[in-house]
Amino acid sequence: MTRTEESRRLIDLEDGQKAIIISITGGKMLIKRMADLGLTSGTEIKILRRALFSGPVQVEAVGSRLVLGWGLASKIIVKLHE
Amino acid sequence: MNDEKKINIVLAGQGNTGKSSVFNYLTGLHQHTGNWAGKTIEKLEGTLYYKNYTIDVLDLPGIYSLTTYSEEELISREYIIKQKPDVVINIIDSTNLERNLIFTLQLLELECPVILVLNMVDLAKKKGVTIDFLKLEKILKAPVIATVASRGYGLTDIIDKVIEIKEEGTRDYHIPEYGKEIENIINQLSVSLKETELPYPKRWVAIKLLEKDKETLKTIRQINPQIIDLADTLGKKLEDIHGHDPDVVIADERSHLASQITREIVKISPHRKMTLNERLDLITTHRFSGYLVMLLILGGMFLFVFSFGNWSSSRLDLVFHKWHDRWINSFGNAFIFSLVWAAIESVLALIQIALPYILPFYIILYILEDWGYISRISFLMDKLMHKMGIHGKGCISFIIGLGCNVPGCLSCRIMESRRERFITAVLVTLVPCSAVSVIVFGLVGKYVGMLWAFGLYIFAMIIIFAAGRLSSKFMVGEPVELIMHMPDYKTPHLKTIVSQTWDALKEFIYIAAPIVIISGVLIQAIYLAGWMPAISGFLSPVTEKWLGLPAITGILLIFGILRKELILVMLAAYLGTTEFATVLSPQQMITLAVVSMFYVPCVATISVLWKEYGWKKALAVCIAEILFAIVLAGIVMRILDFVF
Ligand SMILES: Nc1nc2c(ncn2[C@@H]2O[C@H](COP(=O)(O)OP(=O)(O)OP(=O)(O)O)[C@@H](O)[C@H]2O)c(=O)[nH]1
Ligand SMILES: [Mg+2]
Repeated sequence: MTRTEESRRLIDLEDGQKAIIISITGGKMLIKRMADLGLTSGTEIKILRRALFSGPVQVEAVGSRLVLGWGLASKIIVKLHE
Repeated sequence: MNDEKKINIVLAGQGNTGKSSVFNYLTGLHQHTGNWAGKTIEKLEGTLYYKNYTIDVLDLPGIYSLTTYSEEELISREYIIKQKPDVVINIIDSTNLERNLIFTLQLLELECPVILVLNMVDLAKKKGVTIDFLKLEKILKAPVIATVASRGYGLTDIIDKVIEIKEEGTRDYHIPEYGKEIENIINQLSVSLKETELPYPKRWVAIKLLEKDKETLKTIRQINPQIIDLADTLGKKLEDIHGHDPDVVIADERSHLASQITREIVKISPHRKMTLNERLDLITTHRFSGYLVMLLILGGMFLFVFSFGNWSSSRLDLVFHKWHDRWINSFGNAFIFSLVWAAIESVLALIQIALPYILPFYIILYILEDWGYISRISFLMDKLMHKMGIHGKGCISFIIGLGCNVPGCLSCRIMESRRERFITAVLVTLVPCSAVSVIVFGLVGKYVGMLWAFGLYIFAMIIIFAAGRLSSKFMVGEPVELIMHMPDYKTPHLKTIVSQTWDALKEFIYIAAPIVIISGVLIQAIYLAGWMPAISGFLSPVTEKWLGLPAITGILLIFGILRKELILVMLAAYLGTTEFATVLSPQQMITLAVVSMFYVPCVATISVLWKEYGWKKALAVCIAEILFAIVLAGIVMRILDFVF
């Protein structure tokens, strides 16, 4: 249970790690768009893998696979979840 | 016809759930299908006759929510509410149940009879997912049917159910209930709407008012602005409790309900072997091997098109050559016979020169599409696409554009903002489509060398990238981030690919053949009438002086606007041979290929641009590209001077 409470950006997680969304730091439109996809605070999210350089990340959330652009993924604040 | 015997149904659901597959099976029509979200862009109606009923089926574009973000969403929901279809068929991807249920809940809010179709149960089974259908039926109080649309399994059950619902005559529906506080507020608001006459269900309007849905706000403001004030106050109350905007709170509520339902009905077996497709997914999206595989796949595609095209083109040449000799022997060279032969010759040239390259292109692209590879390219290329002011989904349009720019441009609707749509569409017009590949492979590849042909494709990519950078500088705007559902790979379905290729082939013949015949006869007539020198002379400052091409190319480039493969097809018909090396030097071949690649989109593409973005923008694109291509090709020609 060390340091799992700490919040960080989704983009900072290692591949394969699971986390819970704490907040999304973006405009209203973005928050709503994510909410429509089922991504809000409290949603469990898992990083699958990412593309080269600071490319997009593939995540698993709401029982399906999503690709999120790097800029977007860095606006999602999460905490680790075991 | 007896009115009672008519039924209207609508296929609705998120993207890539199998709506068009269901539609095609039921109506016998040929909507385009493939494994990425956003293929269907226009609603399409078809008819089915079954058990004495005439059933009108409507295929809708896939949508993620029923708020008014996109036109598709607005159109879909207006249709469902106002046209009052007898039954809405909600097509659900069983392998992505939870996310699909979020949409289902919104559909149920519209208070219409819904049948839940759990499609792709074959894939769910492979993933080790078991779904308790009966329980779902009980929870949502709507009939549930399991199907495999690509194989037609379970689809007649849907229609049987529809008829059952129609014959019972009740428009039965169930409304999902959210948390107490929210329900309370929704209730207060719907009560205040009691007196107002609305074409929409009251509870739904209340929800939309809380969500600050633009269209609904507009409608209600005209009728009774006081209600909007009330909605504001109530919305504030929600916001105070939850700390979010009411629309987010409601969306949240839906996703909680969806995940709660999913937990109750879905069991996933934890231990199972990875399927082949899952392994392939790991390799093809890996941060290193993914790019390698992409190069191999795309390179392999071009290589295959090139070799297959050259091989079959030479085969056909042998056959058609004999026909020409026979014609001359039997009819001679009289005026009328020479016009008739011009028509025949043009069609033969079309079949011999164009088809061998266009056909394999389509087959491979359909396989990649049906397998689900195109979304992988979007994932891998997103970063690079951002440098062009758009995001990874633009790659989908590019790849489709490799086959034909028309669907390529249309598919730009998957881009979220108008700015991105337009940039993507313009860039797609620069993508060398299969018709251009006829010139690149059939002329440059065959007579100058394969590497030169490949080089031209790389050159085109560089130009597209540069044009993208430039347009992102000029057309400023918020860059939109990529949000894309990654479809699982699906084993390509042979029957689907064969039938899609067949459709493309038929369209090619129906559309290209008449154009080719008319152009062929026209060119021959112009030639016989002795007008050729006048037309060629008029264009010669550009064609001969600046581009160093033979004068005849002037008229070819004009006809090439109709369809780009005409440039080569007409040249062959005009020469009466495909031995292009006798009239063009290697340098001229490359120059001609460069002009053909970029000089203007073909008429079909122009008309799409016109329809989607207005005539001013379409015209501007055409003029810009003509000037650009001429300047570029002239420079290329001069650089090639040093090479040849
Ligand atoms: N294995 C399997 N594949 C299916 C099934 N139903 C559809 N497919 C495939 O899934 C992909 C998507 O099907 P479409 O019918 O194009 O989906 P759609 O809902 O019309 O998609 P959009 O128009 O983009 O929203 C295609 O590749 C189909 O062949 C199914 O039950 N099982
Ligand atoms: Mg469709």
